[in-house]
Amino acid sequence: MAKWGMVIDLDKCTGCQACTTACSMENNTLPGESWQDVLYYVEGENPSGQMKWLPRPCMQCENPSCVHVCPTRATYKDEDAGGIVFVDWNRCIGCKYCMIACPYGVRFYADEKPLVEPDIREAFPGENGQLWSPPYQNPEEDYRRGIGIQPAGVVSKCTFCYHKVRHAPEGIADLDEEDPDLKEYVPACVRTCAPKARYFGDLDNPESRVNQLIGDKHGVRLKDHTGNKPQVYYLGAGAGVPAFTPADRETDA
Amino acid sequence: MITSNSRPNALQGTLGWLLLVVAAAVLVASLGYAFSQLAAEGHASFNTSSRLPWGQPIATYLYFALASSGLGLVASLPLVFGFKQYYPIAKRCIFLAFIVLISGMTVLAMELGHVFRMLWAIPTGLQTQSAMFWMGVFYALDLLFLLWKFSKLQGGEWDSKTSKQLGIASFIGVLLASGNLALIFGMMSMRPFWFDALMPIYFYFTGVTSGVAALVFFVYLAHGFRRDAMPSALQSLLTGALPKLFAALIGGTLLFIAVRAITGLYSNNPEVNLVWTDYLFASPLYIAALLLGLLLPFALLLSSSIRNRVDIQVLTACLVFLGLFAERFYFVVGGQVVPLFKGTWAPDLIEYAPSTTEWALTLSGVSLCFVLYLLGEKLLNLGDMPRQEPDQRQTEQPAVAT
Repeated sequence: MAKWGMVIDLDKCTGCQACTTACSMENNTLPGESWQDVLYYVEGENPSGQMKWLPRPCMQCENPSCVHVCPTRATYKDEDAGGIVFVDWNRCIGCKYCMIACPYGVRFYADEKPLVEPDIREAFPGENGQLWSPPYQNPEEDYRRGIGIQPAGVVSKCTFCYHKVRHAPEGIADLDEEDPDLKEYVPACVRTCAPKARYFGDLDNPESRVNQLIGDKHGVRLKDHTGNKPQVYYLGAGAGVPAFTPADRETDA
Repeated sequence: MITSNSRPNALQGTLGWLLLVVAAAVLVASLGYAFSQLAAEGHASFNTSSRLPWGQPIATYLYFALASSGLGLVASLPLVFGFKQYYPIAKRCIFLAFIVLISGMTVLAMELGHVFRMLWAIPTGLQTQSAMFWMGVFYALDLLFLLWKFSKLQGGEWDSKTSKQLGIASFIGVLLASGNLALIFGMMSMRPFWFDALMPIYFYFTGVTSGVAALVFFVYLAHGFRRDAMPSALQSLLTGALPKLFAALIGGTLLFIAVRAITGLYSNNPEVNLVWTDYLFASPLYIAALLLGLLLPFALLLSSSIRNRVDIQVLTACLVFLGLFAERFYFVVGGQVVPLFKGTWAPDLIEYAPSTTEWALTLSGVSLCFVLYLLGEKLLNLGDMPRQEPDQRQTEQPAVAT
């Protein structure tokens, strides 16, 4: 079985948020509950101040702290599904411990006050247990893997668009959106990336493009000191998370 | 040993009924409000968010769970370690530990997304790597042992072999439950404010302190805030060992907080340092809770001339009760206020103040505790203790009533 990994080239990323939009359209997430997001950081001060941005899906860690803390095994790493970390919405009790334990802040409870107002849930109130029921819905639904429209009382997260990836041909090294035969199996954020800053492939396949990029262009993992070992790698300058500084003190940094 | 020593207390009469009606009314109102809000809006009626997922309901549960553990540990003084002067409070301690834990669990149940699913998903998941799995196991055992131990005391079995074994099992259960609860926070290396190997010791100290505060308050309440209405052995305890123990526990708690504060302030790591400088010490309420809720009671109880006064003991119990609730709140929230990998979407510390629904849950926990306690005082003779041997009666010191 493949071990799916993502490579994000920060030298190519323009921070356009098309990936974030594609993700929310694909997965019908509530506005602001961005399973995939682009984070902006201001670091340093003039004349050497920098603006950085980091696209951030779930890191699908090899050693995921969210999985260790889950008291019900609702969140689990599925080695048979490429090592993707899923939330079983039939088992999740909404204790939110995984959200505490995830160092990357990629988990969402969504049963919360609206992050973007006006509250779209008022226009499309939830039916059949869904938190909201928009007129267009992705027909793919798999509660065991947290795929579909999030119900109340559970935690959700990026699934590497497993509902697409799972149809990929066995043994494929890379899922390249430019290959007409493969484009339907590529995660939404990868497929939509205009500057082609994202690559998706098998980290266990020595011939894969993702492995070549990580080796040749010095791929790094974010917050590697946590020991979580993400399956998402970053290339290019700025692949690091600046320390938190309150906005009113950024000039003192 | 045959039990004796029951005398009607202040809560077995009209006062008890009156308080019970008031507490039940508050319980129905607060729980009803919380239920209706949760039914109408779900957890959007909380002010927690994906950025700060654990709020006041978790702090309330933590407070109750640790106060329960503290009461269990105090009960173990006579029941496990043989400190006989603590016998007069043993039964009340065990009962309070049980109902305080029930109250905390009720609040937690309303906080979870799917409480009934928990009942099958935790046992069938058997995720032994999760501290929260062990929290379920240990607190369930704790509850069971407390109930079992109480039933033995209720049946007058103070010193039977089974009763003693149950006391030891309950003591170990309490240590495991509260120590493990500490590790739920203390093992989170990605939340450096909590990450601390000594967290279980901190929880034991603060837990026993809040337990003693609750005990002192409820003992006085049971006797109409009159020490001369108490049995002489209880009077001796309240003018002897207990206030000194209370002072020492508050002192230990203050020491722990001071050490954590000094380490945090010294650290360059903003995820620890900023919590102390920009959140805790920037909050007048936190400072007030420290000064009035811990430091002032400590100072009052240090003075041998006033620590035995009824008004001082009740005042310090109430202050510590409130002070440690604030400490729990700021501990839980403090671990989450520094945004975790959010960039400019969260440019400052995350702000959180509990919603009315969250306050209603806290209030329902407190009022449930009062309702159960008042029922216990009415029905279960909580002041019971083993009959003292004749030689002990003769050597008993006259109690000092104030």
